[in-house]
Amino acid sequence: MERPILKPIGTLAEQLDTPALVVDMDALESNIEKVHAAFRESDANIRPYVESHRCPAIAHRQIAAGGTVGGIAVASVGEAEVFAQNGISDILVINEVVTASKINRLCALARQSVITIAVDSTANVHNFSEAAHRIGVKLNAVVDLNTGQERSGVAPGQPALDLACSIVQADGLNFSGLMNLGDENLNDDADELSARWRGRIQETLNTKQLLEQNGIEVGAVCVNAPHPNLGAETSGVTEVLSGAYALMDHRHGAALPGLEQAAKVLASVTSLPEPCTAILDTGRKAMGDDYGFPVIDDNDELQIVSMSAEHGKLQWDEGQDMSLALGDKIWFTPMDIGACVNVYDYIQAVRDGKLEAILSVAARGIYR
Amino acid sequence: MENYRPLIGTDINDLETPCLLIDMDLLERNFQLIADTYRDTECKMRAHIKNLKSPILAHMQIRAGGTVGGVCAAKVAEAEAMVEGGIDDILIPNQVVTPDKVSRLCTLAKQAKMMVAADNTDNLQAISDTASEMGVSIGVVIEVDTQMQRAGIRAVEQGVTLAKAADSLPGIEFKGVMSHQTLPGMPDRETRFIEGPRFIQKTLDVKEAIEAEGIPVEVVSAGESWTYDICPTIPGVTEVEGGTYALMSHAYAYMEDFEFAGTVLGTVTSSPRPGLAIGDTGSRCLASPSGVLPQITGVDGVRVDSLGANHIVLKSDGEMPLRVGEKFQLISGQQDIMVNRWDQFIGVRNGKVEGVWDITARGCHN
Repeated sequence: MERPILKPIGTLAEQLDTPALVVDMDALESNIEKVHAAFRESDANIRPYVESHRCPAIAHRQIAAGGTVGGIAVASVGEAEVFAQNGISDILVINEVVTASKINRLCALARQSVITIAVDSTANVHNFSEAAHRIGVKLNAVVDLNTGQERSGVAPGQPALDLACSIVQADGLNFSGLMNLGDENLNDDADELSARWRGRIQETLNTKQLLEQNGIEVGAVCVNAPHPNLGAETSGVTEVLSGAYALMDHRHGAALPGLEQAAKVLASVTSLPEPCTAILDTGRKAMGDDYGFPVIDDNDELQIVSMSAEHGKLQWDEGQDMSLALGDKIWFTPMDIGACVNVYDYIQAVRDGKLEAILSVAARGIYR
Repeated sequence: MENYRPLIGTDINDLETPCLLIDMDLLERNFQLIADTYRDTECKMRAHIKNLKSPILAHMQIRAGGTVGGVCAAKVAEAEAMVEGGIDDILIPNQVVTPDKVSRLCTLAKQAKMMVAADNTDNLQAISDTASEMGVSIGVVIEVDTQMQRAGIRAVEQGVTLAKAADSLPGIEFKGVMSHQTLPGMPDRETRFIEGPRFIQKTLDVKEAIEAEGIPVEVVSAGESWTYDICPTIPGVTEVEGGTYALMSHAYAYMEDFEFAGTVLGTVTSSPRPGLAIGDTGSRCLASPSGVLPQITGVDGVRVDSLGANHIVLKSDGEMPLRVGEKFQLISGQQDIMVNRWDQFIGVRNGKVEGVWDITARGCHN
């Protein structure tokens, strides 16, 4: 377990023990407000995907901001358990849950919270139905629709219809609609990105129509989007899954303009071994760099030249006077917030540059 | 925080996934190889615990033999977790500079023999001041940069200056010199045995220059897992900082003497198209620094195609041998970063759970 030196409330951010994951609460609140405001006015609602922060305190702020379905989405059964324990009453698990023990766990959890599962096979429908019936609970189920992505899901059209029929007929399950999650590359051209997105939404709506023609009511059309507000503006979409908008990160910066980088990693200089070079106490382990190196804030002259497990190395051009001393602090914006949050047990929440609270990343490391 | 404690004797096919497995037979073979290698040598292993982050596994290597009797810990927080777990001899082969952490290092010296690496005289002074005030003694090794261009002194004379300072300051005891080495790619044995000694020579140059000033050098710490068999052949090297060797990663596949003892166990959760399987293990739990993919082991004809945050895409050319609900095992590309994503090791032998151990230094970046 992480063992930072936790400082008193009111401590200046630059005096926090490093490495630290620091969240600016004004920026967080502003991001949530900006995105949720569009959903308060829209027929569609947002379902915050909390895997991006794993922090119940942030999930509750998202729900309180309005415009939501009243619940969240998670990646795993374990995450669902953590958020249910922390008072979230409506949870969608976006990945297929297939083993008997996890099916039982999720059915038991349905006593605490409304649980929605995503399914892509009739065998899975039968297994859930049997367990829900035995335990005496009802779960919602969405058909996980795959419109060509390299992930789970059933093909649109007849296969989706067949699966929806099996849910409708299953004891212990309510058919609640369709889910389609894309894997668009955020680095692609924005117009191309939204054109491709509209293509898969159209395929989803076509399948919805097919189901309705066959007498199956489709309540939810649940999708993710390059920008959540794209979903808010699109007719036929009822639920938008979105996660990174709350804390933000460098990777999502271009796709989510107007939002602030609320999450930063604070590092300290631990060695100045030669001119124009500084070594930091923060490397790959404490950055969560699965999607690439973080980005240095507010200093274009400092370059990250390498990162190893425990160290970062910065350099700057000769002639630039950085005046860095041992112990000086450097701020980074993580490349991917989900990867970064998942290595910290604590978020150090600051406002106006001072420590306001220490939030538990309660679902850190929960994959199961 | 994860808290997964399957019953002893559980079959691995009945484990909840993802989970982090250690094959105990293979781990013991790796530990035994270290014990055998260093049994009669002056040079000993000081296992770098940033890879295992678990005191019980540190004790297993120490009991197996071939070690200095202690470990390396990358950070003060990691050292704390080890001291709490009963390890009483720790080298932090990194700089500890902020006043908070220097105090924490010094307080650990009341429980354990502590050494730290330094490359700066101001830092030596700060450690000396705090150690004197707290009435403890901190061992100091001078970090020498041999080729990584990370921390560490660049010139031999800097080492002499620092050694003199360390030797004269109260509260610290000059112990010697240390360095890290890295070799990219998949070098063969011959390349390792040429490059290893060449890199480490600079550390020995600093040692000799310090000794020429009449200051004894007790510790020469060098190397990594890839030099475990080279260091004992270099006169003067007293300890090796090896870490990856215990569980291994596929980036170290060229170190053929060691077994792949650590794997992540996953389950296939979807089979959307022929030749495609989706599993429940993503980059969050596997660690994929800058996109390095894990490798699948024990199943023929299946390859790792890509990683999502919480799922893996497996492909096969012919029929996918893995069906929904079936298990598979993965070897990480960077094992220490992967272990840092987990709270428990599940130790297995012959396919059954033998023990569950907390990774108590998980997240100890501070």
